[in-house]
Amino acid sequence: MAQITLDHLTKRFGDAAAVQDLTLELGSGELVALLGPSGCGKTTTLRMIAGFETPTEGRVRLGDLDVTDAPPEKRNCGMVFQNYALFPHLTVEQNVAFGLEMRGVGRTEVRRRAGEILDKVGLRGLSGRYPRQLSGGQQQRTALARALVINPSVLLLDEPLANLDAKLREEMRFFIRSLQQEFHITTLYVTHDQAEALVLADRVAVLMNGVLQQYDSPERVYQRPRSAAVAGFIGLTNLIPGRVRACAGDRVVLDTAGGHVSSLGDASLREGADALLSIRPEHLELGRPDSSPEDGRNRMRGTIRERTFLGALIDFRVDVGRDLVLRVQGRVSASERVGDAVAVSFDPAAGWVLPRGGT
Amino acid sequence: MIRPRERLWMNLAVGLIYVFLLAPVVVVVLAALNSGAYLRFPPEGLSFRWFVAFAHSRSFVRSLRFSLELATVVTVTSTIVGAMASLWVVRFSGRLRNTLRILMIAPLAVPGILTGIALLIFFYAVGWEKAGLAGLIVGHTLICVPYVFLITTAVLIRFDRTLEEAARNLGAGPFKTFWRITLPLIKGGVISGAVFAFVTSYDEFNISLLLSGVGTTPLPIELFDYLRFSFDPTAAVAGTISIGMALVVVLITQRLVGLESLYLGGD
Amino acid sequence: MTVTHAGAPAARAVPRDVGRHLLIIPALAVLTVFFVLPYLNLALISLMTPSHRAPYLRILTLGNYTGLLRDPFTWQVIWHTLWIGAATTVVCLVVSYPLAYHLARASRRLRGVFMVLVISPLLVGVLIRTYGWMILLQDTGLINQLLRAFGLRGAPLMYNNTGVLIGLVHVFVPFMVLSIAGTIQSIDPELEFASRSLGAGAWRTFWRVVLPLSLPGVLAGTILVFVLTVSSYVIPSLLGGFTVLTVPLLVVRTVTELFNWPGGSAFAIIFFLVTLVVVGSYVRAMSRASRPL
Repeated sequence: MAQITLDHLTKRFGDAAAVQDLTLELGSGELVALLGPSGCGKTTTLRMIAGFETPTEGRVRLGDLDVTDAPPEKRNCGMVFQNYALFPHLTVEQNVAFGLEMRGVGRTEVRRRAGEILDKVGLRGLSGRYPRQLSGGQQQRTALARALVINPSVLLLDEPLANLDAKLREEMRFFIRSLQQEFHITTLYVTHDQAEALVLADRVAVLMNGVLQQYDSPERVYQRPRSAAVAGFIGLTNLIPGRVRACAGDRVVLDTAGGHVSSLGDASLREGADALLSIRPEHLELGRPDSSPEDGRNRMRGTIRERTFLGALIDFRVDVGRDLVLRVQGRVSASERVGDAVAVSFDPAAGWVLPRGGT
Repeated sequence: MIRPRERLWMNLAVGLIYVFLLAPVVVVVLAALNSGAYLRFPPEGLSFRWFVAFAHSRSFVRSLRFSLELATVVTVTSTIVGAMASLWVVRFSGRLRNTLRILMIAPLAVPGILTGIALLIFFYAVGWEKAGLAGLIVGHTLICVPYVFLITTAVLIRFDRTLEEAARNLGAGPFKTFWRITLPLIKGGVISGAVFAFVTSYDEFNISLLLSGVGTTPLPIELFDYLRFSFDPTAAVAGTISIGMALVVVLITQRLVGLESLYLGGD
Repeated sequence: MTVTHAGAPAARAVPRDVGRHLLIIPALAVLTVFFVLPYLNLALISLMTPSHRAPYLRILTLGNYTGLLRDPFTWQVIWHTLWIGAATTVVCLVVSYPLAYHLARASRRLRGVFMVLVISPLLVGVLIRTYGWMILLQDTGLINQLLRAFGLRGAPLMYNNTGVLIGLVHVFVPFMVLSIAGTIQSIDPELEFASRSLGAGAWRTFWRVVLPLSLPGVLAGTILVFVLTVSSYVIPSLLGGFTVLTVPLLVVRTVTELFNWPGGSAFAIIFFLVTLVVVGSYVRAMSRASRPL
């Protein structure tokens, strides 16, 4: 049974819709990342689940309980706020104990469980401190402990790592994931960081302008994006416009400015349709312009316009004519220089064709 | 002022102005401690005789006690009314916010004398001539509420709402959230407002002038009548008490809330 | 699968917000009954007929107004009050501005100390401060003692306009400082450095940069002090003796000593309207002058 169900959820502020007709289900123990750029409605969605916003339309269900009309204190969600929202006038232990006190748990039991959870997040010994005396990471862990100790039915995280520096962010990422798996708790993780979403989540829900674009495993979201918007948001990609020449099953032949290209594509494509080929820079290879091996790879000829050293990779921009510039990422050993004539090639199975005019 | 010489001039000017500002206050304290009946320069000597005289003056002591009692009652009423109003205006007023803010501060914007007269005439018109203590309480509350309102509002506006959301999320209902989270964190503001209200009522003259009567004479009125005709430093003792109270209040407010919340002309 | 509903009943007929609006009821009640109504009543009383046997007779008349408006004495007092108001405001501004600037540019810690110094006099109460001035300004007071000690003639500093002016300026300095300091604090100090680096001296920087940018605070402060000054009772009465007559003094005397409630009310309302006009013209003139900003 789904632990979180969003049923045609819509939220309007005046004329503008922050969330439009969102339908989503989270299964038991799943960690789902709600991913999207700033202002896409992901935080609004989270707040509707927690009960701080009332949906204009639609229902929210936790388990088999319809909570749409219930006040926040009756929903039993554990929430970690972006700014942690730790009570400044209470110690770490008192913060963690708060939810338990609200549930009428006895004093000794409260102390035991608070101590346990603080141990688990590695904050034992700091229980007497006040939030302002803690580092960012410690505050984060306190907020987590406070949310988890009450044994909530679901866990809601609102960009929990946004305020931490890069190194700490990575550590905390895995820490949160391991905690979540240990507690086997259904979790909705809101973030704008797509790398984070891909690393942590069982499934990723991509939200843009309040509309759900795709809800899939990280691999499929990355390799089989449903729309140009998703393709552009997740990782880097080249989007090559063209017209469908022929298609059969998931194989597509596309007419592009760089010539005929065969690739894999969305099953809904039809002949003559306007489409986009999404091919990621790491799947493109540079080779000699005059060779034409029969290896089944797609090939386009062009000239290198830019070359940038990125540390682990080299980034090329290759002009293949007719206003089409492709971004290629090659290994550091690549010897091509600016101005060289090259052929850019890729395996048909590495590309993905989407319908144009994506949602 | 960047260069040292400019800074010197500025500090000199400012210093002189502060002397001007504090001179009357200092002089009153000196007069209360002066052994002679007139403050002379050089001062004659130190003495507590005027404090003793004050303590022996029945009318002064009675009006002092009356002022303190009145101020206590007024503090309670105006703090409750003002704090509740502040909560409503900051959180729940919606489009009416600006209108209500102006209304809440209005009693400070009109001359106290006029308000006193208006109340006097009004009490008569509604047949409440014997308003007495109740009338004074009403009049004082009217001008003390704005102070509580202003200070509490300044604190409430700065308050982080996500703390309340976190409490709700953890299972606390609206009232519990207010009691356990909001109130402890704004109590500095409420206390400052209450303390300001106390001193304002204690010092209030204009309204008391019109509404006081026999047996209901606050200290400032007693003092005023006294000063019209005599001049010995017994009055200065009353002044010294007021000055001591003022200092305490200001220090408390600075500690709890920061006096910058009293900046007028914009928020 | 049955779905159970948690929390509120299905129909949310009465919004659960109603309870919170109870918070404003006490304040509204107090203000309406004891502030708005009395003032409306005051306006009504001004239209009643004065009487010797009762505070007023319930007979409508415009006589109070016509009588006052025709009487040159009325206008004399009004003019005198407005003049004192203007003079006080100007002097108060000149005295308070350096204080406000100094306060606004002080370091965090020092600012606290100076704020205490500025605000404490406020809380001491008008009466006590006036008493202090009486000690200082009297013919036998400290200042005259000092002057005579240096062989100078004593100066009449009390029971005249000078004394009243000094007292009024002194009382309202904290208000002016509080109004201006906030605005100055919001002026980026870098602007002053920029002006200096472009060749303007301290004075010019003040005139051309700081003062114009602080005008909103100056406007608010001058209006506040003017209104407070013309409404003042204690200072003109104690420091002016019986020689300085301002509107509040006259109104109180009319009501409490002459028992002419309608007359006193009418006078108060006339003066209120005059003040409104004066302040209104001032605001309009100021906003026209500062439009280029």
